[in-house]
Amino acid sequence: MNYLIAADTDIGITKTTNQDSLSVKILQTQQGRMVFAILCDGMGGLEKGEVASASLVRAFDEWVRNSLPSLCNLPLEDAVIRAEWEHIIQTQNASIQLYGEKSGVTLGTTAVVMLLTSSRYYLLNVGDSRAYVIGEAVKQLTKDQTLVEREMELGNITKEQALSDPRRSVLLQCVGANPAVYPDLFFGDVQPDMVYMLCSDGFRHEITEEEIYGQLAPQMVCDEYSMKQNIRRLIEWNKERQEKDNISVIVVRTF
Amino acid sequence: MLEIGSLVDGKYKILNQVGHGGMSVVYLAMNEKANKQWAIKEVRKDGVKDFEVVKQSLVAETDMLKKLSHPNLPSIIDVIEDDDRFLIVMDYIQGNSLSKALEEYGAQPQEEVIHWAKQLCDVLGYLHSRVPPIIYRDMKPANIMLKPDGNVTLIDFGTAREFKEKNLADTTCLGTMGYAAPEQFGGMGQTDARTDIYCLGATLYHLVTGMNPCEPPYEIRPIREINPSLSGGLERIILKCTQRNPNDRYQNTAELMYALEHYDEIDDLYRRKQKRKLTAFISSLVLMFAGISVSGWGYYSAEQKQSENYDNILKEAEDYNDYYNAIVTDPRRTEAYDQLNDALVSDNVLTREEGEVLLKLLTGIDQNNSKGYSEHYEVIENLRQSNAEGYMDICYRIGESFLFYYDVAEEQDRYAYAAMWFQNAGEKYPISELYCDISECLSLIDQYNGAKIKQTDKMYEEYEKLWNMIQELYEKSSEFDDLDSKLQVWNEINQMMDTKVSPLLEITSKEELTGLLNQISADAGQVEKSIVETDIQLLQDNIDKTIKRIESAKEGDA
Repeated sequence: MNYLIAADTDIGITKTTNQDSLSVKILQTQQGRMVFAILCDGMGGLEKGEVASASLVRAFDEWVRNSLPSLCNLPLEDAVIRAEWEHIIQTQNASIQLYGEKSGVTLGTTAVVMLLTSSRYYLLNVGDSRAYVIGEAVKQLTKDQTLVEREMELGNITKEQALSDPRRSVLLQCVGANPAVYPDLFFGDVQPDMVYMLCSDGFRHEITEEEIYGQLAPQMVCDEYSMKQNIRRLIEWNKERQEKDNISVIVVRTF
Repeated sequence: MLEIGSLVDGKYKILNQVGHGGMSVVYLAMNEKANKQWAIKEVRKDGVKDFEVVKQSLVAETDMLKKLSHPNLPSIIDVIEDDDRFLIVMDYIQGNSLSKALEEYGAQPQEEVIHWAKQLCDVLGYLHSRVPPIIYRDMKPANIMLKPDGNVTLIDFGTAREFKEKNLADTTCLGTMGYAAPEQFGGMGQTDARTDIYCLGATLYHLVTGMNPCEPPYEIRPIREINPSLSGGLERIILKCTQRNPNDRYQNTAELMYALEHYDEIDDLYRRKQKRKLTAFISSLVLMFAGISVSGWGYYSAEQKQSENYDNILKEAEDYNDYYNAIVTDPRRTEAYDQLNDALVSDNVLTREEGEVLLKLLTGIDQNNSKGYSEHYEVIENLRQSNAEGYMDICYRIGESFLFYYDVAEEQDRYAYAAMWFQNAGEKYPISELYCDISECLSLIDQYNGAKIKQTDKMYEEYEKLWNMIQELYEKSSEFDDLDSKLQVWNEINQMMDTKVSPLLEITSKEELTGLLNQISADAGQVEKSIVETDIQLLQDNIDKTIKRIESAKEGDA
């Protein structure tokens, strides 16, 4: 499998800091080419949110550098990836929390982590950042860990009410805020000629799925230059429509 | 940042930094002249975005708080303002927060939690009764200090109201915002006293179970699902506090306080059934261990399998056939009998059909065996031979069901059926012998009464016996330790006397009859369990009616 990758982030129009952190890279392993991507949306009082998101990105990057190569000596198994990633999340959760206690602030971060091999995708999610796959249509792969999502599942509110619910930015989970964190993991088969996208909530509030499809459908992005152009366009649309949050996105196209 | 060792306002020497929040730092300070320790909370200008706004609201807030005085609140004694900071001098509270206690020891003992709950409820009541009412909005273990003397103090009061409203523009994590009540997210109505009641309920839940309602599964489950040894009364209190709709919660702290003070009485209604479950559990344990020790491993695993089947059938039991199934699977265990009996009388009525279901146990159950053929199982006989103790328990309880709940017109039927069961429980439950005697007495009276040639003398002889037994029953009732049974027996006595006023008056005096009834009424009046208040009232009313009937009958006779 071959991959094209692109990523962009923007501080947005109101915030004084960009608390999103991200990383995406193509890896050459014993099992062929893979893509690793992570996107974290930090939050916290004052200027500390990016501390949480950056440290989580660094921790996963370290795992890619130090642990993944040896794991690739054997066929990758869902359970192994799950165990490894959950361990990183727990460790980071504890250390971010400790940092917060020491400096007297509460901080935390969402996380959406993806590993694409030639046959399978592995996804981890905490919070409300999302992973999508774009082929014939735009399909969400992760499930938000938010209060409104849960209320919707319980049947307390409808999808339409959820969009305007005052609680829509309340997360059930994030890394670093609670003593315990329970990430969701998702696995599936990778298809060629698809676009995999990770984004922060700032990227998707103001634009529609149709607009995303229009810019990032597989036939629209056949080289990294056009990928970059198109995600920049989507980010600018968000800002024109007064999105207040930081805006970040990673796209990976398989072929 | 205050410097350690520096002197503030000419009198407070800063000793140590003892805590910090997002926009403030708390110091321990010493008034050296008065030789007294204080806590000083510093709100720094560089820690807050709009310091002027914050300062204004802090001034207003502290002015209000200075007027408060309550044993479970720290008093604010001084406020010092200058250009770039704002200092609040208040009582220094020794001890640790309850969140720390949760962290270190997990779930807290129930009695302690209820002790704290009453104090917290009292503080909230005090705050809500101010004019205008003060809504605290941020009840959580981290804001409750546990002092060395075991009492609690509500802290973190110096924060302006503006900060208590959940700021939802930014992404926040549920875990960091306390146990926000649904209405605190805005858009669902105003926050009021009932918001504090919700948060207190969530706090109690966290304290008593060790489970944070802000963590998966993000719900407040009945606490006994987490720890079955907890109080059913407390469970109901917590569930009522944390209803989504404020109208379904306790409407004020007085209501909540009343419930907290009587939480063990709410249990009373359930105690009887709980007790049953417990004894059943223990006897089955004994059985299991006996099986293990006698027959070794091979037998044990067969036993295990059987017990698994039994448990599964019972867990999913929906109608009496399922209970029969469980009973046939292992007739030596008492749970299925017990649960069948409980299920049949759960509506306080045992109809004729339901009665038949129970009576069938005596004659044996016909069930299809594993080959599909109908087979006859003498289950109760099997129980008697293998588990004499459990057998007597079951007989006694089913006897009670017939005696107290059997809903048929003929009183002697009720007693006769009850006696069929009670006669087997005599060894363990002496009172059941008395019931058997009463039953015999009633059926004799009926015989004499229905006979073609009335045997009036013999009938009155029986009434005399009956009257003695009624008195004996009353004396025995004082030995019961659970309230439910006591009330049942008292009701029973009243009912029996009510239907037999004139024959009883033939053999004894009005004074004796009314004397006994008045005695019961007085006993009932002394029960301090407010939760059965209506039941007691009903009993007393009925007794009054019986007494009136006795008195008017006497007059008629004379």
